[in-house]
Amino acid sequence: MRGADYVIKRTGFAVVTVLVAVTLNFALFRLAPGSAVSDLSRVPHATPELRHALKQQFGLDKPKLTQYVIYLRELAHGNLGVSFANEQPVWSNLRTALMNTLPMVLLGTLFAIVVGTLTGVIAAWRRGTPTEAATVTTALGFYSMPTHWLGLMLVIIFAGTLPTGGMTNEFLIDPSFWTHLKDLASHIVLPSLTLGLVLYGEYTLIVRSAMLETLGEDYILTARAKGLKPWTIVRRHALRNAMLPVATLVALSLGYIVAGAILIETVFSWPGIGRAVYEAVLQRDYPMLQGAFLLLTISVVFFNLVADLLYFKLDPRITE
Amino acid sequence: MRPLLQVEDLHVWFDLADGGELHAVQGVGFTLERGERLGLVGESGCGKTTTALAVLGLLPPSASVAGRILLEGEDVLAGGEATIRPHRWVDVAIVFQGAMNALNPVRTVGAQIVEALELHGVAHGAAARAEAGALLEAVGIPARRGGRFPHELSGGMRQRAAIAMALSCKPKVLIADEPTTALDVMVQAQILELLDGLCRDFGLALVLVTHDLPVVAQLCDRGVVMYAGRVVEQGPVEVLYHDPQHPYTRLLFAATPDLDDLEGPVVSIPGAPPRLDRPLAGCPFAPRCDRVFDRCTVEAPALAALPSGRAAACHLTEAVVR
Amino acid sequence: MSVVVNEPGVAEAAEVAPGRGTFLLRTLRRRPSASLGATILGLVALAALLAPWLAPYGLHTQAGPVFGRPSWTHPLGLDDGGIDMVTLLMWGARISLVVGFAATLVSMAIGGTVGVLAGYFGGKTDTILMRITDYFLVIPDVPLMIVVAAIWGPSLFHIVIVIGILLWTGTARVLRAQVKSVRERVYVKRARALGAGHVRIVVRHVLPQVAPLLIANTVLTVAVAIFDETALSFLGLGDPSRTSLGKVIENAFQRAAISSGAWWAIVPPGALVALIILGCSLVGGALEDALNPRLAVAHLSARTFRLRPPVGRPGAS
Repeated sequence: MRGADYVIKRTGFAVVTVLVAVTLNFALFRLAPGSAVSDLSRVPHATPELRHALKQQFGLDKPKLTQYVIYLRELAHGNLGVSFANEQPVWSNLRTALMNTLPMVLLGTLFAIVVGTLTGVIAAWRRGTPTEAATVTTALGFYSMPTHWLGLMLVIIFAGTLPTGGMTNEFLIDPSFWTHLKDLASHIVLPSLTLGLVLYGEYTLIVRSAMLETLGEDYILTARAKGLKPWTIVRRHALRNAMLPVATLVALSLGYIVAGAILIETVFSWPGIGRAVYEAVLQRDYPMLQGAFLLLTISVVFFNLVADLLYFKLDPRITE
Repeated sequence: MRPLLQVEDLHVWFDLADGGELHAVQGVGFTLERGERLGLVGESGCGKTTTALAVLGLLPPSASVAGRILLEGEDVLAGGEATIRPHRWVDVAIVFQGAMNALNPVRTVGAQIVEALELHGVAHGAAARAEAGALLEAVGIPARRGGRFPHELSGGMRQRAAIAMALSCKPKVLIADEPTTALDVMVQAQILELLDGLCRDFGLALVLVTHDLPVVAQLCDRGVVMYAGRVVEQGPVEVLYHDPQHPYTRLLFAATPDLDDLEGPVVSIPGAPPRLDRPLAGCPFAPRCDRVFDRCTVEAPALAALPSGRAAACHLTEAVVR
Repeated sequence: MSVVVNEPGVAEAAEVAPGRGTFLLRTLRRRPSASLGATILGLVALAALLAPWLAPYGLHTQAGPVFGRPSWTHPLGLDDGGIDMVTLLMWGARISLVVGFAATLVSMAIGGTVGVLAGYFGGKTDTILMRITDYFLVIPDVPLMIVVAAIWGPSLFHIVIVIGILLWTGTARVLRAQVKSVRERVYVKRARALGAGHVRIVVRHVLPQVAPLLIANTVLTVAVAIFDETALSFLGLGDPSRTSLGKVIENAFQRAAISSGAWWAIVPPGALVALIILGCSLVGGALEDALNPRLAVAHLSARTFRLRPPVGRPGAS
């Protein structure tokens, strides 16, 4: 496989980063001042047995270094502790929250990619015309809006037409599959739309920039000299090269979007991982916080790696 | 017999960022007969490349064009992009500087030749691939290299591949824009030999755009010398070399080191070409000319025809003719 | 992530020599987007600066009923405490801008130092500093901000520090690249050969070349800082004693402005934030763009070259 050593090198770096992140995570939450932070067993209303079990599992009465090792061990088993708020294992809480966030985030990202690419290509194609200025200004305008404010605006506009809170209608009793699906769909529209609108501007600018750069390459002139029609040139020669940065941007953004969805999930009361983090902060639910943090950091590292490898694979010019 | 290509009074302007205009090509004209080889010569920025690109209509949106470009009598410039596009590649093809990105880096060389063949209906599918292979062999590249990407080929091979692609639709005119400039000397010689052979074998007319005089002397029948967007002299290459009428031509040839005369002084032309974003009074070469006199700074000389198929734009020659 | 905007219609790369003070002004003049952005920022900053004198009503004076509707005396209505919205906006802009600039200052200080050190000294220093930067980059900023703000307690000072700590990485990377290229320039090497000390070289040769890029980056960072402050306030982690624009939005949200139909309590403050961020993005993007010596020539576009009527020979006698 081409550049196997490049893949290995980048993966190795990612692994190291994860380890560092884990360590920093441990340091941040266990070593920070305030015994409430360091005592993982202080689950409110917990039975003494549970407290004792947690103390044992995480060795909370042992010296910090031992705690670190135990932490790593428990991590390897997927044990992130127990949430202070609902006394469930942190991991299952996080998993549920993540499953709720992902469809919303993916839908929004899809919207952003599609709309962003379309507008970016149009802006580059109609360079120097009012169309370009209008497209770019609109994109920048949406990009500049505070995410939560845009969400609130959409709520104001669509209140009454579309549901503006939560993921499902709790009053639906035992709905059929299709009713349930429709219900979910109607709830997911506004949050995804908010995310999409806030994100697409970046894609517009990137695609436009990449397209303009590609259109300035000499092989475009050759293609034109060959007698190809302009739109064929764009489609067959320019688009592929211009989309390269988009692919990596998507991969990179995915790592951060999950965290950034916090604002949207707060506005729309969406029970996702962003909201989980927020509520964990409010409730001082440190095990949840620590777990969520780790999860988010690892997702960023993972997606950065994906972006790296993707770019490497897509561009035959890079030979490492 | 009507000339294959006639360029008449060609002007090209480029819009500048601050609102002004660059008058890059100022009234250039020349003709090209079937099978003839013309060298378009001059220093960087003299407008020779722009002229060559204009023949194919390969100008950016910031350009404005005036004049006539007649391909076998038909004015292809009259309708802009629409009238020129049908003639691209099938009548006039172009080869750019080889080491540049002239070939799409993410598609194989063979695929790009096939694209030209299929676009103009010369061949399709497997037949097109076979033809592409044959074309590559004709320029000295093993056919299976067609499956390679451009960056996997050396500069010289890339240039050969570009030439193969240019010939794929059997054009009548081949324009070569600085085809050897970015290549090693050894490879340069090979490419020139290749061009020479191909033009002879296929009966192609050649427009060679270059600043490299020895190349013109080797390959071309006639030369058109350009300076500051205008034609200052044209004629058979031999005559240009031995009996230049324009001071610029003379200095240009003198500035080329002669391998046989290593003792002689190396002459260079002092000064720089004039700016083309403002109108000029008098002859554009006047500030650098070694034979300048008062009339030169006031009145711009017109390109006047001289005996034996030559022309020059200089007050000195006018005086001689008169 | 910074936003780069190619100026529509520019046919050739702007010939600017960075390192001159007039570079900034020249870019502003040449590119309409930059002028627009600068105008927006200028107006907002002016209004914010003169708030104590220009604001039509007192910041804590109840001028009417809760969520009073817009009227001639109160063009943007009243908020949940009956306070005039226009007044709130002006004072809010003040706080938001201050936070934005202060946080950016922190981020510039850290990022600038790291970037210059890494780029100038290269080698081991570079590797170590870049590793640290990479680890900071990987931390998801919004959650971290939330956690630190929650643990540390909400106060303007803490917010500024937190935002600053998160934003420095972008500056560091950009500066490092630029410093590296400047270091290779002839006059720097000459200064080294003549025995000039590092500090002298950095201050006299490197910084002036790097300054325009630093300014561009600063402007863009301000935009992010203001956004971050808005986000933190919205999540209830802002300074409760100061009314930034983010706080105005949060107040309205918490007091059910939407269900009361009081859109004027929410739309204007957010719109103002969006305008400020837009202004910063336009200016910063235009500056960055002008510093990128990228030829803006496209070989292909919807428009084609134009035809003109025939000319006739120049200088024909």
